[in-house]
Amino acid sequence: MKSIADILGRIRPEFDFTASNDFIGDGMLDSFDVVTLVAELDRNYGISIQGVDIVPENFQNLQTIEALLRKSGVQL
Amino acid sequence: MIPVRTVGEVFDAIQQAKTGAPAYCTNFFPVQAKLQGWIDHGELWGEIGEAATLFFRKDSDFWHLYFCAASVAALRQEVAASPNLKAERMVIDLVGNELALGDLLALMESAKFRRYTHLSRMARAGHTDPQDWQIDGSPVVRADKPDCAAVLDLLDRVFDRYGEQLPMRYEIEAAVEGRQILAVKRDKALAALLFFETHGLTSTLRFWAVSEQFRSCRFGSALMRHYFATQKAVRRFILWVTTDNESAIQKYRHFGYAPDGLVDHVLVNELIRP
Repeated sequence: MKSIADILGRIRPEFDFTASNDFIGDGMLDSFDVVTLVAELDRNYGISIQGVDIVPENFQNLQTIEALLRKSGVQL
Repeated sequence: MIPVRTVGEVFDAIQQAKTGAPAYCTNFFPVQAKLQGWIDHGELWGEIGEAATLFFRKDSDFWHLYFCAASVAALRQEVAASPNLKAERMVIDLVGNELALGDLLALMESAKFRRYTHLSRMARAGHTDPQDWQIDGSPVVRADKPDCAAVLDLLDRVFDRYGEQLPMRYEIEAAVEGRQILAVKRDKALAALLFFETHGLTSTLRFWAVSEQFRSCRFGSALMRHYFATQKAVRRFILWVTTDNESAIQKYRHFGYAPDGLVDHVLVNELIRP
């Protein structure tokens, strides 16, 4: 199973996601990337992230994405 | 159709469609500042349903159609019930990976929309640039407020208003204010421009155009070099281009851009004639 950082790195290899605390504000992820990320997270962790959770604040940094995965039933 | 008065109304409608959504779908990816601009200028209207909401953004003499829906089935119902889709001139952009758009394309075509044009997103990395973009002696300047009319006029002449989302006058004024329009001028006339938006580490090239009488003067190249040279912190450059514009695509490839897999199908309804 890939880590969140690995998945992010595959979607946007040009960025260092460990160096930012605000992926959206820093222009590292846009709305289209978030849709791709949700699909990748769903596939990788065998979950289905709810539509209501697809909001920018859940994709701000590695910690918020981890929290979203836990909420979606993933044991990290 | 009712006017949207606050950004909160938009997010509430999106939230409502998302709640418990089995297969949420949308073509509405609003950036808050842009959304606020549309609302402030009375351009954004909506038909808010329980499982699907349609948003309409007024352009010059037509509307851009956006949707957010709990599922394609919910969207189909809303589209079938909307009188505005038959009474007003409408353009819709369906954005995503080509393979994922089949259902939405079929839905809109069944609602008598036809394919108008097709765009592809291209991207280039900022930090792997092997060239040092020299701009000594460059003819490029920042566009000024008095240039706004000429900017609008050049964009109108060179780009397709249905397919390429031309900015309104106030957006051009804001871009000039934000130093986001590079220009080359000759005898006080606007010879060429490059209109961009930089957000953090990502920069979007929105428009790059050379006036007809100044083609082959290398102004386009000067603008692009100036753009890269002045956006040193940017790590990702992106743009959208119509896929039949081979000349532009060849130029973008020359500057290091390559398709990144995202496409935009632009469809229009029957009231927009070829």
